[in-house]
Formats: sequence, C-alpha cells, structure tokens
Amino acid sequence: MTLWAGFDTNEICLLIMLLLAYGALFLLPKKFTRDITLLFSVWGVSFGFLFDFTIGGGIINFYIINDSPDYELFDILYYLLFAPSSYIFIYFYEVFRSYKNVFLWYIAIFSLVGVGVQTAFTWLEIINFKNGYQPLFSFAVFLTIQSITILYFEFIYSKFNVYK
Amino acid sequence: MAFASFFFAAWFITTAFLMMPKKLSIIENTFVFMVILIININWGWIVYESMERIELTEEGMIYTAFLLLRSVIIPVILITQLNLVHKSNMIFVVLVSLIILLFLSSLSAILNIADYVKWNLGFDAIYYLLLHVIAYYSLLLIRKIADREVTYT
Repeated sequence: MTLWAGFDTNEICLLIMLLLAYGALFLLPKKFTRDITLLFSVWGVSFGFLFDFTIGGGIINFYIINDSPDYELFDILYYLLFAPSSYIFIYFYEVFRSYKNVFLWYIAIFSLVGVGVQTAFTWLEIINFKNGYQPLFSFAVFLTIQSITILYFEFIYSKFNVYK
Repeated sequence: MAFASFFFAAWFITTAFLMMPKKLSIIENTFVFMVILIININWGWIVYESMERIELTEEGMIYTAFLLLRSVIIPVILITQLNLVHKSNMIFVVLVSLIILLFLSSLSAILNIADYVKWNLGFDAIYYLLLHVIAYYSLLLIRKIADREVTYT
C-alpha cells in the first residue's frame, strides 16, 4: 500500500473535509448513547466499502478513488469520511423526525446532496468515474442506502433507548 | 452452478440466522456484522487485487457468487457462531464454523470462482480463525462502549 500517488488537490481536500466532518461529530451536542453513535458511524463506513468495492472495483469497476486503483492511505481516509456523514445523517433525521412525511423528503433531499457531493468529489479528483458512470447514477444508490438506514434506525428506536 | 450454490448458501445461512434464538442484541449483531464486512472486503481486495495471490473469475454470474461469499455468507456465519458460542462449547462452535468456511473456500476453487495461484487453504484457515477473534473482540467493544444495560431481543 502506498501513502499517496501524488500529494495534491484531492489529498488536501480530503484532509480538510475530515477535519470538518470529525469536528462536527465531536462538537454537535451529544444526542445518542455511545453504542448508537458507534453503530451508525460504522454503518456508514461499511456501506461505503460495500458499494465502492462492489461497483467501484472488480469486474464492474466504475470508478477509482483518488489517484490510482491501488490501495492508498488516502483511500482509507476517504472511507473514514463515511462515519461522521452517517452519524450526521441520522442526527438530523432525529431532529426533523416529528415533521410530516419526513421519511420521503429527508431521504430525497439527502440523496440529492449526496449526488452533489459526489459531483464535487469528481471535480476535486477524489473520485474518478470511468466506463460511462455518471454521478446521477448514484442517486439510486443513495435512495436505497438512506432508506435502509432510516428504516433500521426506526427499528432500533422502537426497541431501545437511543438517547443519552 | 457456482451462482446457484452460493446463492443457496447465502439464503440458508441468512434464514437460519434470522430464525435462531439470539443471544446478542440486534445492535451487537449489526455492529459485529459491519466490522467483519469491512475487514473481509479489505482483506479480499488486498489478497485478490493488490497481491494477486488469488485470481478471481471475470464471468459476471460466477463473480456474483464471490460477492455473496464476501459480503453475505462470511459475515453472517461469523455472527451466527457468535450467537451459538454463548450456549454451546466454544471450541466446538468455532471448529464447525471454520470447517464450513473452509468448505466454502474449497467450493469456490472447485467451481472456478477463485484460482488459488499463490495461496492455499492453510492461509484461509489462519485468516478465518483471526476473523473469529476479531468478531469476539468487536462484541466486547460494543458491549463496553454501551451506556446502558444490554437488552436482548
């Protein structure tokens, strides 16, 4: 495993985003118990790995993370971004949970945000699409994953005390 | 044949897991599943793609069998044995789990899903044994970090 193929825009942006995302994770008022926080952080990372190593590698191979198909240190840092993202997604869902039809519009908005972030990532060369893949294709992935995440959260919410 | 066999294995182990009485809570089961999934995906990538110790098939349906083994069968077997360890002999449960995993590895070689170029089942056995240890310590971690008493489902 190499550290990085070339230390430039994508690596600098990843470091800044990691700082901001983990800063938000630690600065937001603590809402959930520690195990729920850990669970949904690992949840995001595992779904990131699952999709990227399924459609982003192997025989499907729609994209490259960072500068090369080889594993780099910054690839791991990229996946670590999924932990605070997943936590923040659940955090604000809980904030808006009492609103009507929140399940529909929250997931739709966050999926659009996901596509926007992924488009920005292509500009920053953090993600490099190939074989005809376009960021909009990920809209289906975001809708699916976020729906599963909320349904799972609701299930956990109904069985456990999730609040600190 | 490869796709049907591994789809059946995935269906069987998942259904068996869902139907069995569980000793771990859903939070614990999910957490351990996720940790094993992350490790197994990374391990697979390093061994298959980076080190090229094992060559994977390039046929779509057979490749799907590999994805089922990597992302469903192995993590579910690991959490299933963790639920059984609590009520049976630990060595026996881990041994049976290891035998099933090694059988599936052999089957993936027989059915041309993977070609063990610079690899053998002994390395797989060591890796699977380490996965069992990681699964156990992941469970300890989520239990330790929990703020409240564990409620079993």
